[in-house]
Amino acid sequence: MDGLIELVPLPYTDAVVALGALVLGVVSGVLGTLAVLRERSLVGDALSHAALPGVCLAFLFTGAKDPAALLAGAACAGLVAAACMVGIERGGRIRADAAIGVVLSSAFSVGIVLLTAIQNRPDADQAGLDRYLFGQAAGLSADDVLVTGLIGLAGLTLVAVGFRALKTTLFDPAFAAAAGLRVRALELGMTALLVIAVLVGIRMVGAILMVAMLVAPGVAARQLADRLVTLLPLAGAIGAAVGVTGALLSSSAHVPTGPVIALVAFAVVAAALAFSPGRGVVWRAMRLTHDRRRALADGVLVDLETALHAGPPPTVAELRALTARPSRELRRGLRLLRGAGLVDRAGDRLLLTEAGAEAAGAQLARRDDWSLWLEHGARLELPDAREPDPRDLAGSIGADAVARLRALA
Amino acid sequence: MSSPALEVRRLSVSYGRRPVLWDVDATFPAGGLSAIVGPNGAGKSTLLKAALGLVPSDSGQALVLGRPARSALDSVAYVPQREAVDWDFPATVREVVEMGRYRSAGWLRRLRRSDRAIVDEAIERVGMAPFAKRQIGRLSGGQRQRVFLARALAQEAPVLLMDEPFAGVDARTEAALVGLLADLRDGGRSVVVVHHDLGTVRRAFEWALVLNVRTVACGPVEEVIVPATLAKAYGAGTGDDSDEEEELAWTA
Repeated sequence: MDGLIELVPLPYTDAVVALGALVLGVVSGVLGTLAVLRERSLVGDALSHAALPGVCLAFLFTGAKDPAALLAGAACAGLVAAACMVGIERGGRIRADAAIGVVLSSAFSVGIVLLTAIQNRPDADQAGLDRYLFGQAAGLSADDVLVTGLIGLAGLTLVAVGFRALKTTLFDPAFAAAAGLRVRALELGMTALLVIAVLVGIRMVGAILMVAMLVAPGVAARQLADRLVTLLPLAGAIGAAVGVTGALLSSSAHVPTGPVIALVAFAVVAAALAFSPGRGVVWRAMRLTHDRRRALADGVLVDLETALHAGPPPTVAELRALTARPSRELRRGLRLLRGAGLVDRAGDRLLLTEAGAEAAGAQLARRDDWSLWLEHGARLELPDAREPDPRDLAGSIGADAVARLRALA
Repeated sequence: MSSPALEVRRLSVSYGRRPVLWDVDATFPAGGLSAIVGPNGAGKSTLLKAALGLVPSDSGQALVLGRPARSALDSVAYVPQREAVDWDFPATVREVVEMGRYRSAGWLRRLRRSDRAIVDEAIERVGMAPFAKRQIGRLSGGQRQRVFLARALAQEAPVLLMDEPFAGVDARTEAALVGLLADLRDGGRSVVVVHHDLGTVRRAFEWALVLNVRTVACGPVEEVIVPATLAKAYGAGTGDDSDEEEELAWTA
């Protein structure tokens, strides 16, 4: 263990904290993501709140702050809470979110009552139990890291071994059951994995904000990964980065670790939601703007081509009278077309450039293709599951299919 | 004579206190293309789920190829309703189809070369080869249904049970899928489909169960899809009659 700690290029205590946060981040990132995909993010929240009374009871029984004993208490309390949630949901005809709310609040109140009782006792041993509320990275021992590391490793190994069964159950439980998997047992197993993640994180992040480490890595990673087999490692990596950053920041600034980690996690999630390619808000907004501009420019181009076909080059006002487009829209479209070098002006008359005439021709051909498809498409055999896109028939069903379509007509 | 593909005997299921299926008897022949039809709320989907043990039944028995269904799951490929899953799930078309091989390859093992070949063939057969690497959220409804069928094909099971595969699917896809199911039937497999379009059932299926909580009729299509049984199944309603008139129009 010490050898591993020496490998980290930081002072000893910081190196322990960084290693502990690394374990926390990877484990809660991977295991929490399974809960996010099951739409059970808040089960993790309830389990971590429920861990608090477990920690207190373990301390009351043993009278010492032995990390393994405290975690064993947290584990028992977590499993009891999990059983309660399932029991209330199945037996009492109550929805999952309500069951979570009931268990979370009652378990946490028991924890606070016990914690207050312990703190009012005269002996000095109890000092520091309150770190299980908001978490504290500073003062982490190499033993803590070792214990959580082993627990976490067990959890990750289970995921790796059962990966295919977990993936199938997560995606389609009815299919999984029909294919012979014991879906209920697997779902309980995934809840137990969530208990493991809570055990690994509760000392450092605390009961109240543990949910941030369970949910944020998965949410951020989902913006970047489209396959479970890449999503889980990525969530682990993001969790590790968030955990290490947050833990080191908090231990150097003497702030409780939970809030700092939660803030770092929030920043990562916000960045991923905004900027991820393909799914991010900014990316989608840019894409939408681009598509709208293109649709407008294509439309105005065809309007102008039609007008030119029917008579002499029109003025803007004449074109507007012909097309019934709002004037602002028409001007914007013309501006885009002139910017692209497709439309030119001769005095106040509008003309197509050579490239513009070509683009208009192509655009009209695409519209003709779509009419052709509507008329004769039903008789056209397509070799596979490709489906027609009105804006680009050849691109969507293939140039070969379009050629056969023309032959049909 | 060979055992029927699927047989349910005296099957009863209730949600709460209301019976969804009540002493239902039905037989679907092996090597046939069969449909389960009936109005909304008639228990069509529940019949498949209860037969496979996916929902608890109050009483009754289900047999697949003559064996109790729960111990014959390896002979069944079940295709749930498309809406039952989250299509934003991080998986590609190929990965979903691969799920069809996990059981026979072993849940804890990697897929063998032969399994991957079966997966390729299933994807090819439903026409999804150009989309094999696409994330499933970026597919149309018809393409998603093709993926589900490919996963069932990859299971290589003799009996296919499909829940509403044609709901919300365009005409071209429906025609392609019905053709594929007929091919499977000709290849000796048995297919049972929950379906709502009586027109297609008449054209393409040879056997039907008309269901409305109880069995109204079960037998060859030309004998059971007739005005008398359909009036019994659809006429009185089940309290949920949103699609009833539309469906009756098909019986004219």
